[in-house]
Parts: sequence; C-alpha cells; structure tokens
Amino acid sequence: MGTVSLESFRADIERLRAEAVAAFGAAADDVSLEQARVEFAGAKSGRLKGIQKLLGGLDGADRPEGGRLFNEAKGAITAALDAAQARLSGAAAEAGAIDVTLPGEPFRLGHVHPITQTIRRVQEIMARLGFESVDGPEVEDQWHNFEALAIGAEHPARDPLDNFYLAVAKGADPLLLRSQTSTVQIRVMEQRKPPLRIVSLGRVYRPDTADATHYPMFHQVEGLLVEPGATMADLKGVLRFLASSFLGGDVHVRFRPSFFPFTEPSVEFDMEWGGRWVEMGGAGMVDPAVLAAVGYDPAEVSGFAFGLGVERIAARRYGVADIRDFYRNDVRFLEQF
Amino acid sequence: MILSTTWLAEYVRWDAPVDELVRRLLMSGLNHEATWEVGADTAVDIEVTSNRPDCLGHVGVAREVAVLFDRPLHIPAPRPLEAAVPASSAIAVEIVDPDVCPHYTARVIRGVRVGQSPAWLADRLRTIGIEPVNNVVDVTNYVMMECGQPLHAFDLAKVRGGRIVVRRARDGETFRAINHKDYSLTSGMAVIADAEGPVALAGVMGGAESEIAADTVDVLLESAQFAPLVVRAAARGLVLMSASSYRFERGPDPASVEWASRRAAALIQELAGGEVLAGAVEAGTLAGGRATIDLRAARVEEVLGVPVSAGRQAEILTGLGFVKEAACSERCRWQAPTWRRDVTREVDLVEEIARIEGYDSIPEDRPIHAKPVEQSARERTIRVAGEVLVATGLCEAMTRSVVSEAFESTASPWTALPPRRVSPALVRGADRLRRTLLPSLLEACGHNRSVGAPHGDLFEVARAYLDRSGNAAGDSPLEEPLLVSLVVGGAYAKAKGLAEGVIGRLGGVVEFRRGAFDLFTPGRAAEIVLERAGAEPVRVGVVGEVSEEVLSRFGLEGPVSAAELRLDLLEISGSQPRKLVPPSEFPAVQRDLNLVVDQGLLWAEIERAIRGAPGADRMLESLSLEQVWEDAERLGAGKKSLVVGLRFRSQTGTISSDESKRLVEAIVASCGRACGAVLRG
Repeated sequence: MGTVSLESFRADIERLRAEAVAAFGAAADDVSLEQARVEFAGAKSGRLKGIQKLLGGLDGADRPEGGRLFNEAKGAITAALDAAQARLSGAAAEAGAIDVTLPGEPFRLGHVHPITQTIRRVQEIMARLGFESVDGPEVEDQWHNFEALAIGAEHPARDPLDNFYLAVAKGADPLLLRSQTSTVQIRVMEQRKPPLRIVSLGRVYRPDTADATHYPMFHQVEGLLVEPGATMADLKGVLRFLASSFLGGDVHVRFRPSFFPFTEPSVEFDMEWGGRWVEMGGAGMVDPAVLAAVGYDPAEVSGFAFGLGVERIAARRYGVADIRDFYRNDVRFLEQF
Repeated sequence: MILSTTWLAEYVRWDAPVDELVRRLLMSGLNHEATWEVGADTAVDIEVTSNRPDCLGHVGVAREVAVLFDRPLHIPAPRPLEAAVPASSAIAVEIVDPDVCPHYTARVIRGVRVGQSPAWLADRLRTIGIEPVNNVVDVTNYVMMECGQPLHAFDLAKVRGGRIVVRRARDGETFRAINHKDYSLTSGMAVIADAEGPVALAGVMGGAESEIAADTVDVLLESAQFAPLVVRAAARGLVLMSASSYRFERGPDPASVEWASRRAAALIQELAGGEVLAGAVEAGTLAGGRATIDLRAARVEEVLGVPVSAGRQAEILTGLGFVKEAACSERCRWQAPTWRRDVTREVDLVEEIARIEGYDSIPEDRPIHAKPVEQSARERTIRVAGEVLVATGLCEAMTRSVVSEAFESTASPWTALPPRRVSPALVRGADRLRRTLLPSLLEACGHNRSVGAPHGDLFEVARAYLDRSGNAAGDSPLEEPLLVSLVVGGAYAKAKGLAEGVIGRLGGVVEFRRGAFDLFTPGRAAEIVLERAGAEPVRVGVVGEVSEEVLSRFGLEGPVSAAELRLDLLEISGSQPRKLVPPSEFPAVQRDLNLVVDQGLLWAEIERAIRGAPGADRMLESLSLEQVWEDAERLGAGKKSLVVGLRFRSQTGTISSDESKRLVEAIVASCGRACGAVLRG
C-alpha cells in the first residue's frame, strides 16, 4: 500500500501549479522572479522537487498517472517561467531602446571615374577571350601614328590642322600627340611574334571644338588579334561576345562597310542597344601592308582589329548628355558612379 | 555628298522606295546622313569615305545602285558638234610644274548666250544645295556633280595673251578670287595664269577677273588633274574649301578629265548655243594606270570566313567595272577601272565582293577559343593605387594633358627642362604638355569649392611628358612617367598618410626628406625617395602643404595638402602574390615611453633608433607617436617630449615582464646613443 493517495497528490500538484503560475505572472522585476523561481522550480529545494519526492509514496498502480500529472504541471510551470522572463527582459530592451531610424555613422567612399569604369569593363570582358591590356606612349612619331598604319604622306589625316604636332627643332622628325591607340598595337607587334591578342587603351587627341559630343582629348580601346587563319567571322563573333557581355543579354552586331587605311576590309560596327542600331566603332581585317610593316608575313598570319570610343559608350551607358562633364571633375558628378 | 534621286534615276532605275535605296547604300558603304524633299525631288545626303571619290558624283553612286539592285546602268556618251576651227587656234596651254598638274585640257566654245539655266538643271542643282548662277557656270557645276570631275569656265576674252600657264604660285603673289576677296599665295599652291598673272587658284577657285559674266561671249573650259596635296595646301591655307577642292584632294577618275570636258561642252552648246571649236588643247598626260590584280577564288572565304561562289565574285566585280583579263577558274586576273584607284590588291577585291554581297552573310556565332592572359604589373599597380585612394574617400578625376602657360610656370618635380608645346592648342590657351598633374588637380579642387560640392578631394592617374635630356634613352619619343597625384583638404600629414598608404600597398620602402617645391609652403614639403637594391636612391614622389599664394590662385582655403607619386618607379614587381605571415597566437604587451629629445630632432631618427634596438626586429609589432609636447619650464629650453607607443609581440611565446623590460631598456639605450634621448618619469 502506498503512503500517499493519488487524490491528495493531484490536489497538491494542482495547487502548486496555480500558485507558481500566479507568482511568476506577478513578478514585477528580475529579483522577485528569481525568488519565485527558487521557491517553485529551484533544483535543490524547490517545491516542485518536493512534490516529485511524493511520487515514490504512491501506490504502484497509481504511479503512471501520478507521473503524467507531475510532467504536465512541470511543463506548465516552466512555460510560465519562460514567459515571465521574456516579459521582464522586454521591459529592459524598452528602457535601453534607441531610434533605429537615426542616420548611420557617415563615412565617405571615393569613386572611380566613369571613364575608367567603362574601360575596365571592356578590359575584363576582353580578358576572358585572352586579350591582354597594353599601354604605350602618347607622344608619337610619324612612323607609329601614320606610316606603319599605312597612312601615307598625302593622306588628309596627317594634316597639321587635324593633329596636335609638337614644336620640334628645324629638321628634326615631327612628333605629335597620338590620334589613335593603334600606335600601341604597332609597338607591340614590332616586339612580339604572333599569335597575339591585345587591347590597347588610353588617351588620344584630335583637334575638335569641344561641345556636347566632341572633346579634343578622349579615350579609345582597341582590340587586335593576329593568328593564322583569323577571319571576319571571328571578328564578328568577338564583337558579339563583347556586345552581349557589355550590354547584357543576347546582343546582335552589324557590320557596315567603311574605310580605314590600316584595315581591309574595313567596317563600322553597330550594336543593337535599346531597340535600335547604335554605332559603336570601327573594325576590320588588319591590312597586309600593316602586317608587313611590322615584319609579319601576311601569307602566314591574318588578323583583325577594332576600336571603340570610350566617352561615347560611357555617355550612353550612364545617360550623360554632355561629354564635357567627364572632364569637369565635379564631385557631385563623380559620386554618382 | 547630296544626291538628287530624280537625277540619279537618269542613270539607273532601282524600282524600290527611297528608304530601301538608302538602306542598301548604307549597308554597302555609303552611310546615310539625311533625306528630305525639295519640290518634287528627294535629296539624300550620303557620307562618302575618302577612298571613294568615284561616289562624289551621281554616276558613281548610280553604278553602285545598278550592282546592288542588279539593274542596267546608262551613262551618256557626250558628242558636242565641233566646228572645223581647232581649239588650239584660240588658246595655248603650258604646264610649267608637272608635279602640281599632270594633265590639263582646254576647250573653247565661241558665241554663247549667257542666261538662265532651264528648270530641269536649276532644280537639280537646287536639290543638292547649289544655287544656279548662269547656264555656263551651272553646266560646270552640274557635270562636276555628275561625274566628280571639277571644271572651270573662263571668259576667254579676259584670258590675256591667249595662253594658259599652269605653275606653282610665287610666294607673296596675290590673287582676287570669284568671291572678290584678295589672297596672298605661297609656293605650296598652284595657279592657272595667263600671259600676265594668275586667273585661277588651281583646283580651288576661279578668279574674279575672268569669271563668266552676262556679257561673256567666248568660253574657255578647263578640265584638268591637280595634285591633291597642292590643292589641300591652298584650300586649307586660305580657308577656301570648295566642292572642287574637296574632290581634287581625293583624286577624281583621271579618265573623266576628257569625258567631263566633252559633256560640259555639249551641254553648254545645248543650253547657251555657240560653236565648239575642234578638239581640246592638252598639256601633260593622263596620269594613273589601271591596276592588274590576281584574285584566288578561295581567298574570299579565307578572309571573310564564309564562302562566295566564283561565279558570284565575277558578277560583282564585273558590275563594278572591273574587267577579267581571260577565262579563269581558281585564280583570275582582274583589271581595275580608272575610277577605282583605291583597289590595287587582292584583299581590296575581297572587300569589294564582301560589301556588295553584304556583311550580314557573315555569321556572328563563330566560337572563339579562350586563352590565358595575365594582368600586367602596370595595370595591377594602377588598380592598387586607385583602390587605396578610393577607399579613403577620394574621387578619381580626369584632367587635360595639355595645359596653359600659367599651369606650366610651376616647376616640375620631374625635370628641369621646359615643357614641350603643341599646335594647335588643345583648348584656348592650352598648348603645353604638362610635366606635373598637380596644378590641374588644384584647379579641379577649386572648381568643386566654387560650386559648393561636398568636397574636392581628388586623385588622378595620368602621364606627364618630359623632354629627354639629350642622352636619356628610351623607345618612346618623350619620357612619359605614369603619375598618381592627389589633392586633399587637411595639413601635410593628411597627404603624407595617403602617399604612405599607396606606397605601402605597392610594397615600396621609401624615405621622406625635406624638400622645396613651387606649389608648397616652404618647410612643409618633402621629397619621397625610394631605396633600391644595387642602385642609387631615386625620387619617387613629392608631398606637401599647398602654399597660401597657390591656394588663393585656385580659389581654395587651407589647409590643403597634395602629393604626386611616380607609379612607373613604384610599380609592383613580379607576379607572385604576397605570402602570409601568420598572426601570432601569443598576447601583446603595450608600453609607452616618454622620451625627451632636442627640439630639432627628426622623427625619422628616433624611429630608426627604436627599430634598430636589439630584439626590436623580432618583437616590436608596432610603433606609434602618441603625443608631442614642448614645455621650457618642465623639459628645459630647446627640448621636446615624445610619447611613443610600443607594442611587443613574439611569434614563439608569451613575452615575460623580464623580456619586455629588457626590450624597453634596449630601446631607451639605443635612443640615447643615437639621438641623445632621455627617458622622462
């Protein structure tokens, strides 16, 4: 026979449960809650622990029911304690609360010029196809700016009014600010053997009155590939890859015949941008005379080249209506990119 | 080149709307500028590249249209009714300088009645933007715009001495043109002279004295070839660009000299009456042979990447006026027409075939094989420098490479030689290649201040242009060091910190030495010197506080500091990434020292003494200057106190108090020996 009846155990445990829930609910601060916790749920001498000991006094047949009652009460007491703790810590949070919409601590970030960003974008795309970026002098001689590019002495492109010639001593070789970055391609070809994939980039200079779409100094990116068996189909493929990567999506490329002394055939290439054909630059197969001028054998290798005006693409890309803005260096402009 | 479509239709019928005509021309090489209506006619403005002077006349464009639309081409065969009297009875022609004029012809039409042109002719000229003058002058313009060969009509009665002399102008010779302005000529130009003096500026403009007037009775009709450079020199030199000079600069079809002369004589006769004397008086010879070119049928695909059948190749070339020399299959020999002197090689023929066949036939999805590529050291250097400066809040600027004298009156840190000059000026007044970027950046900084921008802290990466001092070798004509320059609000230490940051990221080990530079306040500027293994130290930068005078010049308020660094000399070497030094697992020990030294002692000397102390190389993790103060009463006159923060840490174990004590003692001793420093308190 047990020493404790199930009925009295049930009554005890229900009273305990009610008192505990009430005490936890009434606790107004951490101290009173802790007192209540120790009284009811204390690990050593809490009242819950005391009642657990009574389980042993139940008749064997009543013990399962007694255990169930005990577990149920213990769950409810624990939940009430958790709820009380959450209630009190919430109050603490409220006391130390801040206006989370106040401005963050300001810091200043610098910005890379949009022209540089555009150049780097093209460089990165071309690098995926193995085109290496190269650089060369901006003050050039006639050989690299004209002659090696098959621009003969009678060509109008050499006119003094169409170039920035340097003042030189009488009899000295004329020098000028390069009018295209193809000069760098000549320099690289003079030093290296094919196969070759390069992108030359940088500042170029052509006398033009500055207005919304012209500036006497601007940037070019020019690609050059020289390999055995290169064709115009390869050129078109590369430009489509460039167009699609630069503009995003599946962009088409169109060739229109044109004329440049250093390419034959020569084309203008357009890209489909915003639902219409936009002129992007010039391109073509490297003229055999240019290959021969740098010591390559036109029977062995062929090549293609293309050039882009960076300002024009950047202006369109960023919605800049006046390209002179690129050179005003107004921080309110620069900070937008 | 403006086309009248009514006029064009006289030579070819294309049976399609004007838009389609324009599109086909665009896709075969004649860029479309604009289309507009003129009365019942439609004008189409096309852009003709400089290699295609044949398309600077309606006949040339008609030839393209005929090939593109596969339609027959009709070119008139002019046959003026000639009198028995030869032209040579009325005029003699002599070429004195054949290099300026290889071929000259003169025809004579006697007894014309100068008057208005008929509507059909006047209308066509108006469509293409030429105002009709009188029937004789209009015919010369009409024929020029028909075949691209400029002509000139003289009043024969005003040609003195009955002779025409073609020669170089004499320096200082004067000439009154049709526009009634006087021009002073040079020997780079050529004139048509009569027995007494110039009556026309060859290839550019006729003279006022001999122009066709209402009372003109006898006409001398000139059709000639002039050297492009001579015509250009005159047109550019005198700012007298004309439709005629434009064409001569590009070189009309040499064979059209004769055709145009006959065509104009016949039209003058038709419209103004008169008697055409027999033949033309000629001097010189028709220059310009016809190129003979071999074309391998297979070559077309090798260049384009798509095949074009041999039959189609032949069809295109024949339509364009090329003549096949004999029956052939794999390799054909073609003779170029006289009006296509731009076509001389096999690849030129390939282009002709490609542009008529259409570039749309070339696929755009040919795969291209990737190839490995490495970023150059220079490229990495530029990016690293930019990353440091952008991270610290500077914006990248771009300023002009060519600047005004005012900017270049500042001495360059990089050369004692004066700036090189260019002509023309880049923009007004800017004709000097800059040797430093700093004035340009200061100007940009001042602009930001004047517009009330949030700040004006800027940097730029660009080249300077330095004259080679005689023997300085190199493969570029000038020395072009790559610079990064920066301008920031703040005292000297601000710019110095940024310079140190950039140099540190690039891996350079440098020394700052007191220097003096034009833009900086005396005593508040330094040169930055790079130590190089096995070579003399070299200046790689300057840094300083911008002087009051310079600040006021650019509308700035101080303090503003600036630096300029030679990225070409600080270039990251090698392609190996930095190797990790694992952070120590052991705790650090912090000690502050209060050292009293002479006022004039440089921080660099104390730093050297501290770092040189025994054990510092292994244990001193960081060194900072916490405080500097001077107090004559407490420290003594001429002394200053430096509070130095030392942070010790070992890779191999926890530093004991004994160890840290020994380290501090060693450092104090070293500072005492090297700098006379005394530990205070």
